[in-house]
Amino acid sequence: MAISRRKFLLGATVTGAWVTWGALPAWGVGATASSAQFMEVSKLLINHQLDEAVGARIAAAAATKYPQSVQMMTSIAALAQAKQARQVEDFFGDIPEGPLQEFAHWVIFAWYSGCSSPKKDAQLFTFEQALTYKTTADTVAMPSYGFSGPNLWSRPIVPLSNMPIF
Amino acid sequence: MSNPTSADVVIVGTGVVGVSIAETLLDAGLSVLMLEAGPRVSRAEVVENFRNLPLALKGDPSSCYPPAAWAPHPMPSSETKEDSYLQLSGPDRYAQSYIRYAGGSTWHWAGTCWRLTPQDMRLKTLYGVGRDWAIDYQTLEPYYTRTEYALGICGPSEPAEQWPPLAEGVARSKPYPMPPLPFGPGEQRFTEVVKTLGYSNIPTAQARNSGTSYDDRPACCANNNCVPVCPVGAKYDAATALARIEAKGAKITTNAVAYRLETDGANRVIAVNYFDQNKASHRITGKLFVLACNGIETPKLLLMSANARNPNGLANSSDQVGRNMMDHPQLTMTLTLEEPYWAGVGPVVNSGIMETSQGAFRSEHAGAYFRFNNFARNRFVTFGALKKGLVGKALDAEIRRMTACTADVVLAHEVLPDPNNRLTLSDKKDWLGLPKPSIHYDVGDYTRKSAEVYSVPIGKRIAQAMGATDIKLSPQFNQSKHIMGGTIMGLDHKDSVVDADCRAYDHDNLFLPGGGAMASTACGNSTITMVSLAFKAADAMVRQMKGA
Repeated sequence: MAISRRKFLLGATVTGAWVTWGALPAWGVGATASSAQFMEVSKLLINHQLDEAVGARIAAAAATKYPQSVQMMTSIAALAQAKQARQVEDFFGDIPEGPLQEFAHWVIFAWYSGCSSPKKDAQLFTFEQALTYKTTADTVAMPSYGFSGPNLWSRPIVPLSNMPIF
Repeated sequence: MSNPTSADVVIVGTGVVGVSIAETLLDAGLSVLMLEAGPRVSRAEVVENFRNLPLALKGDPSSCYPPAAWAPHPMPSSETKEDSYLQLSGPDRYAQSYIRYAGGSTWHWAGTCWRLTPQDMRLKTLYGVGRDWAIDYQTLEPYYTRTEYALGICGPSEPAEQWPPLAEGVARSKPYPMPPLPFGPGEQRFTEVVKTLGYSNIPTAQARNSGTSYDDRPACCANNNCVPVCPVGAKYDAATALARIEAKGAKITTNAVAYRLETDGANRVIAVNYFDQNKASHRITGKLFVLACNGIETPKLLLMSANARNPNGLANSSDQVGRNMMDHPQLTMTLTLEEPYWAGVGPVVNSGIMETSQGAFRSEHAGAYFRFNNFARNRFVTFGALKKGLVGKALDAEIRRMTACTADVVLAHEVLPDPNNRLTLSDKKDWLGLPKPSIHYDVGDYTRKSAEVYSVPIGKRIAQAMGATDIKLSPQFNQSKHIMGGTIMGLDHKDSVVDADCRAYDHDNLFLPGGGAMASTACGNSTITMVSLAFKAADAMVRQMKGA
């Protein structure tokens, strides 16, 4: 999705490397607005279709884990807009190392792994929608969900180049 | 409705051994009462537990089986050293996992069913190591066949693909009830590669419905989740048999933690005592008693039952209860491969190289069995791919590459019975105030030498032939969770706990069937042998009760 569709960003203003979210202080942004902003930023960081309900769960965790997440998301969006980015590769290199890039990686981590950290006590956001399984959905069953019938899984080696569309 | 307090036969444990015995006894017209330490749960609950685990725990078989407070079991991913259930010592950690739920640990077994060979049962005679069994292969063979039909074990019809290989004295009395399951692409490629080295990767005989329903359970459809739980029950687990044996009259009391057996003046067992989840004690009487609560809980219960007549614990005049603890010590090679193999298509274990478990070398060192683990790899590689800091197409491609082009090849070894590998009662107590099991363990030089001169060199040749660009070998032996030896079988009551029918030498109405009775481990998974011993014991119980 092209950056030009992100009408909600039109009110954002750049202040150095950071961006303020219109005239609202961070604590004044409601959960719905944060979820919507989180989904928009997620779609900038990930070139795939993303589930809104999963996004709402990750957004809530992001708000707790990163108290400045609203400002961070606004900054990331501004950087993408500055490049008229159509995919994450177009602007990710512009995200400065440090807290902002760490946050961006965490958002990507959450969508791909479906959970909040690589630790055993991580919060689960999703199993079924975790993107790691989408990258191999043409070949490997998501554990506990079969995709074939009785004894119907003999098949040739699938090439790596056939990346599923998701 | 109050729980029953007496039956012809009282069985402690509702795992595959307990239910196999129960059904045989019920079919013979005997009454059966079963005690299960843990709760009874639905398959749907366990499946949801699995799906709700964070990715870091998806590869841990125990995490979707949280223990009841009164029936603790090992939880390797979450327990701390302070609250761990097993108290371990020695050069190697006997870090087993098992489940104290109705249905037992077959909830999360892979279903693998390799028979022993005749040679596996005569190590002392043929190779001068270990112990001979009290029975020979020909005696056990009909029980193997019975187990294959009772559990629904699929396997090949071609003798060249069967285990043990066809030879004099090894003829099968019946074919497998179902054909083998097909190989996924990774297993097929692995089979072709090891063939160039002269090895045969043969279909695993496994308790999983192949191409058809069997025993009111559906056909496998490659959910690739046999461990930790088959979501559809295509894999046999003892939980699938509970309703059936209840329909035949079995009484099953759950949340009943057996803590003591009582004996009378003739040293016969007369009762078992258990605590319920409210710490209230109950007493159950019967004519015959069966302890089938796995190779750790069974010797623990015998030791806890020490009394004036049996000061070292029940069934322990030989001093062998809790000794000879065995397993299949395994090493895992995690390989990075040049070309995709795509593990994860089909059941999680579906083939193996067994011929490497046999040979004259067994006078010097252990044999080994090699298998291509067929678990889908996403759960193992995703964090590593994300850690590389990639985004976009590069990240997608790296996860896909690592899922397809990595593999685990497992080297599973046999181990010899050693009385020093011993389970005792810890001074640490569980929630009910019962002693935790304490286990000292050393895999021994026989197994270590195999890794040094035999299994690892073969493994590296296999890895090279597979096109491995990187090999990571486990730094130490890990356990296969195949608990054997603690109530060992033999012909002499002075050095053995049970006879050829798994009857305790010290108590003629007490049976201790299962892995604890096994006198050698060989390299293949133990459950089919445990169940075969259970059927043999059950026949002996029927004869005993009918006065034959």
